[in-house]
Amino acid sequence: MSKNIDLTQEGIQVKRSCCFFCHQNCGVLAYVKDGRILEIEGDPNNPTNQGALCCRGNIALKHLDHPARVNYPLKRKGKRGSGEWERISWDQALDEIAAKLDQIRNEFGAEAVTTAGGTQRTDDWARRRFMNLYGSPNGFHNAHLCWIPTFMVETAIYGWCPFETDLTSSRCLVQWGHNPGASGMPEMRGINDLKQKGLKVIVIDPKFTETASKADLWLPLRPGSDLALALAWLNVIIWEGLYDAAFIENCCVGFNELAQHVKDYTPEWAAPLTWLDPELIREGARMYATNKPGNIQWGVAIDQSGTPAGAAMHARALLRAVTGNLDAPGSDLLTGPSKEFITDEEMEANEWLPEEQKAKQIGSDRYKITSWPGYGKIAQLCKDVWGKAPTAEWMCEAHPPSVYRAILTGEPYPVKALLVSATNPVNSYGESLQVLEALRKVDFLVTCEYWMTPSSMLSDYVLPIAGALERPTFHSVYGCSDFVIATQRAIQPMYERRTDFDFWRDLGIRLGQAEMWPWETLEEANYYRIYPLGYGVSSYDEFVEKVFYHFPEREYYKYGRIGFATPSRRVELVSSTLAELGYPSMPTYIGPAENENDDPDLAEKFPLVLTTGGGFMPFHHSEHFQIEELRFLRYEPYMDINPTTADKLGIKDGDWVWIETERGRIKQKANLTQGIHPRVIVTQRGWWYPEREACEPELGGCLESNTNVLTSVADKDCDPIGGSWANRGLLCRVYKVESSTITSGSNGKDGK
Amino acid sequence: MARYAMVLDTRRCIGCHSCTVACKVHNDLPVDMIYNPVTTVGPVGVFPHVHMEFIPLLCMHCANPPCVECCPTTASQQREDGIVWVDENKCVGCKACVMACPYGARIPNHEKGVVQKCDFCKDRLVLGKEPYCVATCHQRARIFGDLDDESSEVYRLVNQENVVRLLPELGTEPYVFYIMD
Amino acid sequence: MKPKEDIWGWMLAVDFFFAGMGGGMLVIIGVVEMFLGEGRTSLIANFIAPLFVALGALLLILELGRPFQAWRVFLNPKAILTIGAWCMLMAIGFGLIYATFGIKALPWSGWVVIRKLVAVFCVIFGLVVATYPGVLLGRHKSRPFWTGFGMVTLFLTSSLVTGSSAHLLCNLILPPAKLEISTILPYLAAGLLAFQLIFWILYMWMKKTGTTDREAQAIQSWINGDASIGFWGGFLFAGSLIPIVLLLIPSAISYLIGVILVLLAGLWMRINVIHAGKTRTWLPGEERYRGRLPLGDEAFLKAWLKD
Ligand SMILES: Nc1nc2c(c(=O)[nH]1)N[C@H]1C(S)=C(S)[C@@H](COP(=O)(O)OP(=O)(O)OC[C@H]3O[C@@H](n4cnc5c(=O)[nH]c(N)nc54)[C@H](O)[C@@H]3O)O[C@H]1N2
Ligand SMILES: Nc1nc2c(c(=O)[nH]1)N[C@H]1C(S)=C(S)[C@@H](COP(=O)(O)OP(=O)(O)OC[C@H]3O[C@@H](n4cnc5c(=O)[nH]c(N)nc54)[C@H](O)[C@@H]3O)O[C@H]1N2
Ligand code: SF4
Ligand code: SF4
Ligand code: SF4
Ligand code: SF4
Ligand code: SF4
Ligand SMILES: [Mo]
Repeated sequence: MSKNIDLTQEGIQVKRSCCFFCHQNCGVLAYVKDGRILEIEGDPNNPTNQGALCCRGNIALKHLDHPARVNYPLKRKGKRGSGEWERISWDQALDEIAAKLDQIRNEFGAEAVTTAGGTQRTDDWARRRFMNLYGSPNGFHNAHLCWIPTFMVETAIYGWCPFETDLTSSRCLVQWGHNPGASGMPEMRGINDLKQKGLKVIVIDPKFTETASKADLWLPLRPGSDLALALAWLNVIIWEGLYDAAFIENCCVGFNELAQHVKDYTPEWAAPLTWLDPELIREGARMYATNKPGNIQWGVAIDQSGTPAGAAMHARALLRAVTGNLDAPGSDLLTGPSKEFITDEEMEANEWLPEEQKAKQIGSDRYKITSWPGYGKIAQLCKDVWGKAPTAEWMCEAHPPSVYRAILTGEPYPVKALLVSATNPVNSYGESLQVLEALRKVDFLVTCEYWMTPSSMLSDYVLPIAGALERPTFHSVYGCSDFVIATQRAIQPMYERRTDFDFWRDLGIRLGQAEMWPWETLEEANYYRIYPLGYGVSSYDEFVEKVFYHFPEREYYKYGRIGFATPSRRVELVSSTLAELGYPSMPTYIGPAENENDDPDLAEKFPLVLTTGGGFMPFHHSEHFQIEELRFLRYEPYMDINPTTADKLGIKDGDWVWIETERGRIKQKANLTQGIHPRVIVTQRGWWYPEREACEPELGGCLESNTNVLTSVADKDCDPIGGSWANRGLLCRVYKVESSTITSGSNGKDGK
Repeated sequence: MARYAMVLDTRRCIGCHSCTVACKVHNDLPVDMIYNPVTTVGPVGVFPHVHMEFIPLLCMHCANPPCVECCPTTASQQREDGIVWVDENKCVGCKACVMACPYGARIPNHEKGVVQKCDFCKDRLVLGKEPYCVATCHQRARIFGDLDDESSEVYRLVNQENVVRLLPELGTEPYVFYIMD
Repeated sequence: MKPKEDIWGWMLAVDFFFAGMGGGMLVIIGVVEMFLGEGRTSLIANFIAPLFVALGALLLILELGRPFQAWRVFLNPKAILTIGAWCMLMAIGFGLIYATFGIKALPWSGWVVIRKLVAVFCVIFGLVVATYPGVLLGRHKSRPFWTGFGMVTLFLTSSLVTGSSAHLLCNLILPPAKLEISTILPYLAAGLLAFQLIFWILYMWMKKTGTTDREAQAIQSWINGDASIGFWGGFLFAGSLIPIVLLLIPSAISYLIGVILVLLAGLWMRINVIHAGKTRTWLPGEERYRGRLPLGDEAFLKAWLKD
């Protein structure tokens, strides 16, 4: 992997592979000889990255063969978490896991087996297919934190989620709790290009981020107060007459009701809740409404705000509707699912899961829009109008905190097994202490991983998984885009690694699902999926090499032809679907999960407002802390604090500080910055220390600086609509770490 | 003859460090060696009235390089096309150039006992490719080219945009130019 | 601020110390020979002067990343270091040759013209060896502590101070055949010390009020920061003022103590001057960036070393 390798030598093949260190899936050209990758570079022909690669993309070969990788199936030898392992064969592992799952199904029912995922990293339709055929409705991801509730709420209102922004002719872009400057490099390039051509950019973010530093307008709102801001924007746009009257007249229902509903949500009303000047709120609303066409880019912040999350995404969606910024050139597009290739949903075998099993999905009694009650309804509407439904994996899942609680309490019924694939739950799910207890307690724990993560450390079996260079990637945005970018494996998996698809398939075959898994390899499955595109290729690899990607011809204003996928076939400014599910049909103000107005006592104890996370370079959530080249650039965690506040607390730049909420405390180093309100604290997410011991009690230092020790998954702090828990807009306090305690492996509960 | 130069568009740079990593990985540098850091300036001001810039650094390939003059072994040299580089075979690691370079661009390699630095990826230029740090930048904040070529992007930027050089008062005449907002 | 921008280390400072002292001694040896004739400096001094320069050269070589390639430093006639290296070589050579004239058994000990000629070379090369570190440092425009002509004077002065003190010491051990300059030496040293004292204060004042903010900042730690006790109390008071007094008391003991203080002060000065050069003129944001990089001994750097 260096300039010292001659890439013109004979026998080198160039493979069109990709990077999966985040879901931008940048194209990678791999120079392969004799089954080894000599060098990689960004694929200049890939429409996403156009030759570029970020920090993580560049270290792919280090990641591929890092000394800390798990390369063989491992079975626990000593006690849980003792760090003692026995290397076994895949056959033995799969046989034993299958036997155990069979036994659990017989004794406790299929629903006692659950599976945890993280952000989209692999072919999770296979996981879903396995679970459906096995009979359990209890698959889940931390999808609740990441776009999925947004997708479902927006689909409820106007029949699809406009995740594709048609930026080329846009005049105004709102980055709402979104920081592509650190989280989406290729996306940020597009914004940079358009900015130079005059695109106006509004950033709504408590922190002065990379993206904010390039913006025309920055609204540093109180974390978690997005709902108040969105309602005030609706008020301004509607009552100042800035709405799109024709679109509302022709395409929407319920405008008058909505107008009355938001009448009192004035900027003056929102000011004390958002800590923003009313004039600044007006300026933002006017800028968005009058610079048409315009876009509101999805950002993850609202999904993670807990209690008000569903209402806030609802209000944000209505902003697009009242300004007519839907499916028009330069606005947010409603593409619908692909009609041309086989979608993820069609691979999932959802029809095989019996109704009575669907009803057992944990959390579906409370958080309906992201589980079978809401998904079932919305998927049907989509099928009626679009002809296909959105992916059920992600959009329709068990409620993760409720599953972890079920493991600990046996309520509503016993949960006996957890299959973890492509997630590091202790660091990414909420309230880490509870997650950790659940992992310690669950009867049977299997993890499919690249590394010994804290959850691998506690597992009964750890299975070595092949990465993006070792498997084909079918990129279609959680299975919901109408386009696909297809890339191939550069090499066969190294050592004894296998793909996640192989794992679920081989397990399924052992559990009697053989005839349901006709594709022996992922390439075969992908070929089946792209075959209907009709390019006349005879294999998936040929598709990658000759066709590479498929973007359908863009059709604007599709609603004119087919309507919106709602019961009324219109944009429902008053949502019948939400009402039917028992939720408010219009967004109504709810305060942030923890706040000074609703709970002054708590605010006295925890006077600062905390928001946990925001992606930062070069890491991806809890990943890549092992890669020395990356870790060198940020080897310690930093939290942001305003110098005025730091001064009062006797904290200097670079000091270790404790950040504490009702759930526990962690330590990070202080980064003094004027880019943040004196009452706001931002912590970095993901942190653990893989260089520490990979066994109990240290578990890779997974609690010490882990911001999810601080977050809340209590039902009262969860969004009643989508079930997301509270990562952003919490109450905390901050104080200096005394030097004597700096190196201790605190578990967050000690010495309060 | 070409005169290579780089333009860094700070309006576009987001401080992602990808260029730093690309350079290190592809040039086979030990983990602690950085040819091209990217620094953050700010947020400057008082909340909420602040601004912030990211400054990608690297060897300036000075027209008047103190690092070459001071090198007792002639290992440090400048080519006609302006590229300043170190012939590792000749370098004895005396660090005179490390001290002489005003831009922190020279880094001792303790494994090899020599001093190394950015060489504008001269070996890649031969293959007709851009430097690693340029190719890897999603934001296209680094623009590389030949300043003698009037049709080049760098020529256009240097002559049409408001560019500055770092520490101009030292008289080193950097061939790395910054577009500042 | 932490590494990883490596700078010159203590070995170079010690090199400058010994080479400078040796150079200073050679200058005195040569001047005395030229104007007063032979036998007026201690034979030990005559031998030890070139050996000090050689010791300096050795340390310079050890400081190199590739010591076995040291011969390459002679290759760029435009580089100060090359000039310095050649001059050190010459100084060692001529110094040793001159010293052998003191051994009466050797056949050439009576060749007066040659001896005088060698003495001239001792002065020339001794002077360069004593001065070039100052020239080298003074040319660093981006190291505000060093930059400017002042360094040249400071190094030359210090070399002569330590050189004359070393002579005094040698005289105590093995007095020369003819003693007349022995009585002048303490005054010479004391006078140079006084000059050094004044010039250092002047230097600080020039930097403080001088050309750029960066220079004013660079000396801050010497004036009232980390290095201030060492500078005011150690270098100027104990290493310059006290020895002046001691050298004016004609007694072997007070000479001895004075000389030791002077030598220690000379060493302190060089180590700290070299060290002060670590502060480069920072580029925007650079100090914080480097300040947050690992030092190199962090656990994550060692945890996964491949064997
Ligand atoms: N480098 C890097 N890139 C990544 C990832 C990573 O971990 N690292 N993860 C990937 C994944 S899975 C995702 S989902 C995307 C997410 O990418 P983004 O949508 O950009 O989400 P975040 O970076 O998590 O947070 C965005 C911003 O929300 C702000 N914020 C915090 N609280 C609030 C609030 O209450 N309201 C508002 N309006 N803003 C708030 C934060 O300051 C942050 O700047 O990034 C992807 N890309
Ligand atoms: N407090 C707080 N918590 C958050 C967030 C926040 O902003 N604040 N962000 C949330 C968001 S948006 C998300 S998406 C989640 C992310 O949560 P996770 O997805 O759990 O985050 P990662 O740390 O990326 O963990 C992924 C794990 O899967 C492994 N892995 C990667 N690729 C594969 C694969 O192909 N197969 C298998 N089997 N394993 C693989 C990696 O080695 C890594 O250990 O975190 C959420 N948690
Ligand atoms: S990690 Fe970087 S290179 Fe890889 S897909 Fe994401 S943005 Fe692209
Ligand atoms: S890769 Fe580009 S955007 Fe990122 S830090 Fe380097 S120059 Fe800036
Ligand atoms: S930046 Fe430094 S290393 Fe590069 S040419 Fe200029 S002086 Fe030499
Ligand atoms: S370290 Fe090497 S390149 Fe630098 S001055 Fe010394 S010999 Fe020349
Ligand atoms: S031009 Fe090449 S050597 Fe120089 S910083 Fe960029 S990648 Fe590194
Ligand atoms: Mo995410």
